[in-house]
Amino acid sequence: MVNDQKKIKLYKERKRLLVIIVVFALCAILLLARIFYIQFIKGEEYQKLAYQQQTRNQKLTPARGAIYDRYGNDLAISIYVNTISISPTAMRANELSVDLLARGLDKILKIGKETIIEKINKESEYELLVRQVEKEIGDELQSWLSDNNIAGVTIEDDTKRYYPNDNLAAHIIGFTGIDNQGLIGIEYTMDEVLKGIPGKITSEIDKNGTLIPFSTDNQIAAYDGLDVVLTIDENIQYIVEKALDEAIFKNDVTRGATAIVMDPKTGEILAMVSKPDFDLNNPRECPDGFDSTSWTGYSTKDINLLNQTVWRNKALSDTYEPGSTFKAITASIALEENVILLSTMTDDYEIEVQGWDINCWRSYPHGEETFLEGIYNSCNPVFVKVSQLLGIDIFYEYVEMFGFYDKTKINLQGESNSLFQKDFGLEYQEIDLAVASFGQRFKITPIQIITAYSAIANDGKLLQPFIVKELLDSQGNIAKKFETITVRQVISSQTSQTMREVLKGVVSEGTGKNAYVPGYDVAGKTGTSETDEENVYTASFCGFAPAGNPVITVLVVLHDPQGDSYYGGVIAAPVVGQIIEETLEYLQVPRNLDEALIERDVLIPELIGYSIDQATDILDELQLQSILIGDNILEDVSVSYQYPLAKTIVKEESIVVLYSYLPEEKERVTMPNLLHKTIYEAKVTLNALGLNIDTKGLGTCIDQSVNKGEKIEKGSIITVTFRYTDNVE
Amino acid sequence: MKKLFYTKPFDYWIFVFTLMLVSLGIIMVFSASTPYAKMAFDNIYYFLNKQLIAAGIGLILMIGLSFIDYRLLKLIALLFIGLCFLLLIAVLIPGIGQIYNGARRWIDLGPGFQPSEFFKLALIIFLSYSISKNQEKVSTSIKWVLYHLTFLAIAAVLLLAEPHLSATIIISIITFLLLFIGGAKFHHLMICGFVGGAGLVGFAVLTDYTNDRLTIFLNPFKDPLDLGYQLIQSFYAIGAGGLLGRGLGKSVQKFLYMPEQHNDFIFSILAEELGFIGCLVVILLFFLLVYRGMRVSINTKDPFGKLLAGGISCLFFIQAILNIGVVTGALPTTGISLPFFSFGGTSLVVNMVEIGLLLSISRHAKRSVKKS
Repeated sequence: MVNDQKKIKLYKERKRLLVIIVVFALCAILLLARIFYIQFIKGEEYQKLAYQQQTRNQKLTPARGAIYDRYGNDLAISIYVNTISISPTAMRANELSVDLLARGLDKILKIGKETIIEKINKESEYELLVRQVEKEIGDELQSWLSDNNIAGVTIEDDTKRYYPNDNLAAHIIGFTGIDNQGLIGIEYTMDEVLKGIPGKITSEIDKNGTLIPFSTDNQIAAYDGLDVVLTIDENIQYIVEKALDEAIFKNDVTRGATAIVMDPKTGEILAMVSKPDFDLNNPRECPDGFDSTSWTGYSTKDINLLNQTVWRNKALSDTYEPGSTFKAITASIALEENVILLSTMTDDYEIEVQGWDINCWRSYPHGEETFLEGIYNSCNPVFVKVSQLLGIDIFYEYVEMFGFYDKTKINLQGESNSLFQKDFGLEYQEIDLAVASFGQRFKITPIQIITAYSAIANDGKLLQPFIVKELLDSQGNIAKKFETITVRQVISSQTSQTMREVLKGVVSEGTGKNAYVPGYDVAGKTGTSETDEENVYTASFCGFAPAGNPVITVLVVLHDPQGDSYYGGVIAAPVVGQIIEETLEYLQVPRNLDEALIERDVLIPELIGYSIDQATDILDELQLQSILIGDNILEDVSVSYQYPLAKTIVKEESIVVLYSYLPEEKERVTMPNLLHKTIYEAKVTLNALGLNIDTKGLGTCIDQSVNKGEKIEKGSIITVTFRYTDNVE
Repeated sequence: MKKLFYTKPFDYWIFVFTLMLVSLGIIMVFSASTPYAKMAFDNIYYFLNKQLIAAGIGLILMIGLSFIDYRLLKLIALLFIGLCFLLLIAVLIPGIGQIYNGARRWIDLGPGFQPSEFFKLALIIFLSYSISKNQEKVSTSIKWVLYHLTFLAIAAVLLLAEPHLSATIIISIITFLLLFIGGAKFHHLMICGFVGGAGLVGFAVLTDYTNDRLTIFLNPFKDPLDLGYQLIQSFYAIGAGGLLGRGLGKSVQKFLYMPEQHNDFIFSILAEELGFIGCLVVILLFFLLVYRGMRVSINTKDPFGKLLAGGISCLFFIQAILNIGVVTGALPTTGISLPFFSFGGTSLVVNMVEIGLLLSISRHAKRSVKKS
């Protein structure tokens, strides 16, 4: 029995121990279930959160693409700089004291010890110290950090934009913000292409921000931005900027100016200038003439001002009444629609439309004339009549076809919409049509008118103007090429050819004479338009050259000139002439000149030491005249002094003054007044005094390089500027 | 002497499982402690070295003890527990007891140790001795159950004064289990357990110390940077493990994110590096160890040996379950170490001494049932 009891007891104990084991097994299973839950059900969530705290992303900044002109000259480039930041907690964990760290950092970065101390003591994981310092400074800092075994400072590679030409083509190129994002111009419109695709390095870090040993970095490579090649020609851009600056200065242009040069056969913009402009390397400077107290360049007020003034690309943003430049469009429509012939007789006497009297621009009318003469003389009533022959529907249909209703879609921001009165109702549509025929009561953008002129020049084909020629990858291969886009055929090539001749005549015979360039057959039309404000005018000229085979179309618009004249024919035409002459010379377009009429340049030889007779013979041979001062009685007298000096370039038939003795006092004459004299009169007057002439322009004299009454050495070359001031609207 | 060095083989499985746990533990201590050791001592082997020395001492003691007849313990049972009670009192005296993490648990005598560590063993030995001696009474009278629980109550008061909640819980469970194995009536234990449990809950409710822990246990993300931080970091570590883990030595959380990464939360790092499979192996090893230990208990005829073997086996497993329960957020956070894994020389030596006793029982006890 005792044995049995013992057995029962044993069995009971055994059962109890087994119960414990079973309970323990259940606990183990529950724990495994819990672990399973954490690892497989919540695992992804926890891993994501853990990854965030365990890793640090370092951005790999791609190199921003450069901007080049059409020949690869740098317009905008990126230079490498460093941006320095710290991790305050990691900084404080260094052996060096905060004070010593700050002193060391300040010695290199020069941003103030106190500022640095303040940042090191902040309770954060990231504090920016300084942006975009030169790479040399970053390198110096790096070596200081490793020499002293300092942790917690990050030196990131960064880039900064640099514009080698400062103001040149500022509105086209544009600039970038502090994060290298494009803000205006090509930098803005092509930002996506230029900026590239950033990469990143993800590194594993411990709680203090130090890299974990043997951890693998996860690197996603950055793709550099593409380079943008513009259609702009740096040299032409420079020519235009210079010409426009001079014109603004000479004519006291107060509300800015714009000029565009376009290739009419491709639609490429070769140059585009808007004044006033700004320095791309310092774009937020307070514009001239504005209050610079409390100026930051970053406040909304300041940015608005910049946007309205120097940053504004007038070539696209400023709408204006085209005035008489639009007559070329009206004439093209008339000829295309065949409602009138160039030889058809008409007149420019006052005409009444819906109660308004319309007169020619000139105080007294030109009278009876052919349509061609009407165009040459820019007579408003002639165009009113022509527009009436066309009718409203056809006229505006062509206006639309010439692209005046649409934006040109050039790849630059800020292009404005044109404004047509026609949209405001039918009541005044007759008078509206009448004044529209000569470019008034509606507003268009400069880019629209030059695009329309280019269509006239380009066999009637309207092209979409463009400014980006190619995109290049980092190896310099063409990644994308932008081709000419033909929008539509507006007028026939026959009409185009006729119009080219007509507009050539406007310059050679009519109101556009001041745009004349010998040998380059400039064709174009003047424009003087009123603005919404009284006595504020816009002077413009749009033309192309050579008329037979146009290479460039040029538009110059001057807003509110306060000088002697506000007529486009007087002040804008010569600027276009100058731009065309310099540009075509630069492009090596041969001049079409009558050989007999060409005044050759002659290099004056060294004559000192030759006998007077020999010297005279040499000059004769070179088609130069000579004046002798002193006497030649003794046959062996030789030349002791000459003026102009040897190696001076003069036109043939110029005068060289020879002295038979070494003069203590050179022969001087008094400078006469040449104002209003013709070229011939001026030349005769000067030659009679023993002076040479260098002419600029055609017409009557408006300027002489030496003021009247001044004493001047015989043989001197006087630069005299001529301009047509009569019948040049 | 022949009796003392009786050379019947011990339970090899317990020996093998222990060695496996100790080895894995040392590897994990090394892996988990390197970043902290590097930062704090500039020596990545700092913790490894200490743990290796402890393991060496532990191994010698473990094997040595397996040869000594465990029944000799009966002679020192009272002395031992008396000494441990004195230590529990001593640790409360400022100047003797060192404060760590807000609790006065440590006595620093060269190598520091927690008296509670020894007390657990002392209590198991004493209860095994006492219950085995009074088995008839314990299995019939609630008085005798209460008699044994008195020791627990005194210890609990002393431990809660430190405070050391986890040790209190462990010795409570062990005491009840020993009474359960010892044959106490189930309903007696239930009544006492209910009263005692209510007391503990009361203590928990009355002190902020445990209140905060409960709140955080229920939602650690409520205070992710302070109170919830540790548990959240543990989730991150375990969650990153997946099936196979990041690979041995490849934990990221050990890089100073996970506090106590080589102590109480070493299992989290293990889960991160060795994944679900690693966790399974560790829990399985603990279970197999307790299973073998219980087998020793079942097979031991001597009531003292039976209780001692059961008590020691349960001690390991309960600590393991509580620790893993805490780091996985299945139980409220309390400072409890994982036997064989958590860094701590004294603790490892004591653990291996306990295994040594278990081995001794397996070697010396008369089998209760012969294998058929």
